This record gives sequence, structure tokens and C-alpha cells, in this order.
Amino acid sequence: MLKTFSIGGIHPNDSKISKDCAIEVLPVPSKVYISVAQHLGAPANPVVAVGDKVKAGQVIAEPAGFISAYVHSSVSGTVKSIGPRKDLAGNNMTHIEIEVEGDEWAEGIDLSDTLVTEIPEDNKAILDRIKMCGVVGLGGATFPAHVKLCPPPGKKADCLILNGAECEPYLTSDYRIMLERSKEIVVGAAIMKQVLGGCPAVIGIEENKPEAIKVMTEAVAQLQASAKGYDGISVMPLKKKYPQGGEKQLIDAVMKRQVKSMGLPIDVGAVVQNVATSLAVYEAVQKNMPLVTNVLTVTGDCLPMENQHNYKFRIGMPLSYIAEHAGGIPEEAAKIISGGPMMGKAIANMEATTVKGSSSLLYLTAEQTVRGVESACIRCGKCAEACPMGLEPFLLQKYARNEMMEELEENAVQDCIECGCCLYSCPANIPLLDIIRIAKGDVIRIIRGRGQR
Amino acid sequence: MTTTIIWTIAILTILGVALAVVLYFVAEKFKVEEDPRIDQVEAVLPGANCGGCGQAGCRAFAQFCVESSPNLDKCFCPVGGNDGMQKVAAVLGVEVAAKEPQVAVVRCNGSCENRPRTNEYGGYQSCRVKAALYSGDTGCSFGCLGCGDCVAACQFGAISMDPETGLPVVDEEKCTACGACVKACPKNIIELRNKGRRNMRVFVSCVNKDKGAAARKACKAACIGCGKCVKACPFEAITVENNLAYIDFTKCKLCKKCVAECPTGAIHAVNFPVVKPKATEE
Repeated sequence: MLKTFSIGGIHPNDSKISKDCAIEVLPVPSKVYISVAQHLGAPANPVVAVGDKVKAGQVIAEPAGFISAYVHSSVSGTVKSIGPRKDLAGNNMTHIEIEVEGDEWAEGIDLSDTLVTEIPEDNKAILDRIKMCGVVGLGGATFPAHVKLCPPPGKKADCLILNGAECEPYLTSDYRIMLERSKEIVVGAAIMKQVLGGCPAVIGIEENKPEAIKVMTEAVAQLQASAKGYDGISVMPLKKKYPQGGEKQLIDAVMKRQVKSMGLPIDVGAVVQNVATSLAVYEAVQKNMPLVTNVLTVTGDCLPMENQHNYKFRIGMPLSYIAEHAGGIPEEAAKIISGGPMMGKAIANMEATTVKGSSSLLYLTAEQTVRGVESACIRCGKCAEACPMGLEPFLLQKYARNEMMEELEENAVQDCIECGCCLYSCPANIPLLDIIRIAKGDVIRIIRGRGQR
Repeated sequence: MTTTIIWTIAILTILGVALAVVLYFVAEKFKVEEDPRIDQVEAVLPGANCGGCGQAGCRAFAQFCVESSPNLDKCFCPVGGNDGMQKVAAVLGVEVAAKEPQVAVVRCNGSCENRPRTNEYGGYQSCRVKAALYSGDTGCSFGCLGCGDCVAACQFGAISMDPETGLPVVDEEKCTACGACVKACPKNIIELRNKGRRNMRVFVSCVNKDKGAAARKACKAACIGCGKCVKACPFEAITVENNLAYIDFTKCKLCKKCVAECPTGAIHAVNFPVVKPKATEE
């Protein structure tokens, strides 16, 4: 019996159409626009000036706080401007515009393909390297990786979980890197495991990706046979269920431990990192390569098979450039989403550029996206059954509409992970998540405010 | 049979008297002294419980007034207005300075015609939800989202959506300047401004902080921060900050020089007698 998380969850159609498309490298456009807010936390401060010559891999913005990250140039060229530009939600954010000249990389970066299996011994140096290379979590939240890898004093990691669940329908970028860069991912896992004090590492992969499970298991076995420091790494197939890739759900599935309300994974001895983050850690520590590339899926039911792609992109590429390169936007596409269909964001502005955490360009048809007419709640309880956090969305939305903050807090609205299972399962088309998300923000603000007084 | 009834009545009477005596002394002992003026003040308040005064309701406001008297500078009931506050002051036997009456002003002129839609929003019709998701269905990330959170927030039925422009319209007669719409608007478009002499007002009907070219591209009626109005104003009432002009209503003398000067028509003058053909909106 395969493991999975204990409560709730849904089974949306897989739709991994682009799973057999090998990763292709996108050519560099003539101009890139690199956002200074590519991570959770404070936007980074630009450290270059207009007219400066930069090389690919050079730092162009420095962290502006503890939870913040370095941003590097993804191309070589001249800084043309630093100023506001609209991100994919249409909001202004500082972007650094660089006109591309050649493709020259900063010194000290190893561009070769050779696998480096020997792990440096100095943990502090490793963490420093991860921080300097601007590695952030690539599972969606883009939380700075080095912060997660330094458990606060008194807390110890019992298990490092690598998230290869990729439970969102359509997305195949993690699947492709697991097939094509399996050994690098395992080395990355070994590095993070060593930093965390030698705890075991588990790579969780859903059963609908048997190829990935096979390749990753082989990679682990080969590395364990040939080099030191790879003991205690294992691959764990998981039963397919959305949202398996949610941090708390994955911990429940792998370790059978539950993170309590408003708690952090480290409270139960878990550290969760995405497989793509593991690859970025490998690149940073073993190759001194900053995080300036990632893999993105271009997919959708309305996209012909030859236009489905998995691209290795550089940060700062306009989405319109990628769409064009992939053969244009199909006519039936009514909505373009960055990220998966469940938690991704609709793109309001195709001139927005890729960031470290970009994972897809997903074209959905009108039929797939137009919402049904809202009707009254019949208290069928489907949303409560689907909620992986054990909440009662039908109740929460009622409290939220009436601004009943005490009741919302008592019913743990702050635990909502915004996975969208309730919205997906509601037969009355009630915009449950839309309403609950706002209430969650309000309640968390109240809770935080209380702590400060 | 009769004795049972008599006994019952007698015992109950004795019990009642004894408990009444106990209750009397308990009530005397734990009596809450409440200022009788609170009731009197509450009686003269409008009783809308709108919270426009910043207190939880009319009762709380009455208490606040009594507590802060004789100085009522911080107390103002926007619904009752100056007349209402005079009544409160009379009850408390103090003086209160008259405040300039205010009205809610919608500072966005991004109608469907001025501001072309760049995408379509199909989600839940609420400005707060929409604002949390993205910048809106036009190129302007500052302007009105048009889902009518302000209409829902208004307890006096003073705001309605104009189906032509897709923008909210304030009924000046009904508006009490309680500020509920100001709080409800996630884009901070609505502002409480002084009603002005004979209801005449001049204001910048835009909150776009983008640079001129970007603002203009998103909306024909946007303030582009050119600063012409600043130069035209003889009273130094206008300031331009972050590419956006703002008219200080305490300094504005309603000369309308800025209105004529504005190249995009972002400055609106309302309720002026129709001598020149420039009276727009409402």
C-alpha cells in the first residue's frame, strides 16, 4: 500500500501532456528584464547602475533583509535601465533591463557537464555558497533556501524530504529534470542532508511517474555504490493525490507527522525542498553556478503536440518571447496561467518576465476556466471532505462574508494552504477559496498584531 | 386540601420577600454608576451605528463624548454633522467648533471609454478579492476595479455604479461622509474632501502614480504628473508627488485655473454654475 497524506485531497485529471518532451534550451533574447522580487520576503536592492557592463552570473541585486535573496544577471551585456515594470499580475516592480551582448559568464563558474560527486566538508561554506548563489525554493513559494537549511537553535532535522510529487496537473518540469538530471538532484540532496546534520533524505515521487521513480532509484543506487556521503537517501513512491506537494501534506505522507496550526515543518523535524531546488543547490555548491535558469513547461489541451515544450529558460525573459518561440498562443486559449491550474496565477500581462520560480505557461480554454453560476450552499460537505487541512470551507466562507473574525480564528482559517480543493469540489460553484483567502489574510494580520503588543 | 394551598402560598411569599431583600442589598452593593449624560447624548445621535466616528457604535460614541468633554475636538459624528454635534455639545453644556462638512469623492475617471480593458476578470465579483489577485482588467494598476465594494459598504445608499462608465457615483445629498467606502476601497481611490463653498469642488480625479507615458497609455484621463497645474495655481494648493498631482482642499480657492491647464482633463471641477462649458461629472 503506497503512502499518502491522511485527510482530504482530490483527484484531478493528470493531463501531463508534455511529459515526453525533452528539455530544450531557449535562445537568449536581445533584452532581458530581471525583477528584484523573485523570492518570498523583501525585494532585493539593485547594486548595478545604468550603463554598467555585467556578465552572466554576476550579482546585480543584494538581499534587503534576513528573508531575501541575491539576484544575478542571467546574461552578459549592458544595464539599460532600472525602474518599474509590470509583473505578471500587472503590478509595478523594479526590474533591471539588460541589453544582451554575447554570452560571457562571470569567473569561477563551472559551465561543464561533468558530474561532481565529492561533497565539500565545510557546512558553513556550503550554506554561504547557497546564499551567495541566490538559491530559493522552486516548489512555488520561492522561500530562500539557506534560511530553511539553518534550523533555529534547539531544533533538529530528523528527515529531509525532497518534493518530487509534482501533484499539479499539466506541469512536467520537475518530472523532466528528475529524468534528465537525476544524479545532480541526488548530489544536491546529499549536500543538504549533510548541512542538516546527516539526517536521512527521502525523495517523494507520485506513482503516476513510474519512469522518474525508476531513474531516481537507479541514480541513488549508483551514487551510493561509487561515492561517500550518499547513505540514507531513498526514493519513496507515493499514492497520487492532490495536494501531495503541499509541505504539510508531504510531511504527513512521508513521516506520518502533523505540523500543528501556525507551526513550521522544522517543529516536527522535517525540512522539505523541491527537487528543482536540490538541482539548484547542486549547481551552486558544486559548480558555483547562481540560480539564473530553471525549467518551464509550455502546455495546454488546446496546444498541438509539436508545440508542447519543456524549456530551460533564463530569468528575465519576457513571457511573450517564450510563447512566440513555442509556436504562438493558440486561438482557443482563453486564459494563460503561470504555474499549475490549481494554484497558479492567471497572467494579466504577457510582457512580464520569467522569475526564478516560473514553472509553466499553461493555456486553458474558455470551457476549462469559465466559472459556473453561483448557487446556494446545500451543505453537502464535499468541500470539508476535500480539504487536506481538515477545515470546513462552507462554514468559513459564511463567517468570512459576515466578517466574524473570532469564529474564523476558532475554525482555523489561518491553516488554509490555498490549494483550491474546496473550490474544485463545490457543486454549487461557490467561490470558497476567493473568500477564504481574504479572511485568512485578515486573521493572520490580527494574530501577528497581537504578538507585537 | 385547603391547608396545602395556604402553606404553599405562605412559603412562596416568605421566600419571595426574603430573596427580594437579598437582591436589594446585592444590587445596592454592586451598583454600576453610569453617567446619565451618556443616555442623553445617545438620544440626540442619529442611531445609524455606522462607525463613521471611529467608535464601535452610537452608544460607544456617546460614552466617548462624555469622557472627553469638555474638549470635543476629537469627537465628530459625520452623519449628524455640525448640527448633531451642536446638540451633543448642548447636552454636555460645552462649546464645539464647527467642522467643514465633507463628502466622499471618487478619484478615478477610468471609464470604459477612457481606459481600455486589457483582459477579462472572471472571478468572484469583489474588489478586495480582485485586488488580492492582480492589478485589474485594465492597463492601470491604480484605478477603480468596478466590482462595487464601496456600494456594498455604504449604509446610506449614497453610492451606485454607473453602468455606462463602470465607475461608482456618489449621491452628495445622501452621503454623510462616514468613510465606510474609503475603508472598503482596496485601491484607496475614494477620499473624503470638504464639501466646499456651495458644494463647488476642484479635485484630481486620478490616483495613478505611473510615469506620464505609462499612465497615459493605460488611461486617456490619467494624471501624468506634468506639473502644469502646480505652476498655474496662485495659492500653492497643488503638489505633485510620485507623478501624481494632489489638490489640498484647505488651500484651494476654487479659481479653476488648473482645470483649464490640465492636458488630460484629469482635474475635475464639480457643481460650478454652468457659465463655461467645463462642468463635468455628476
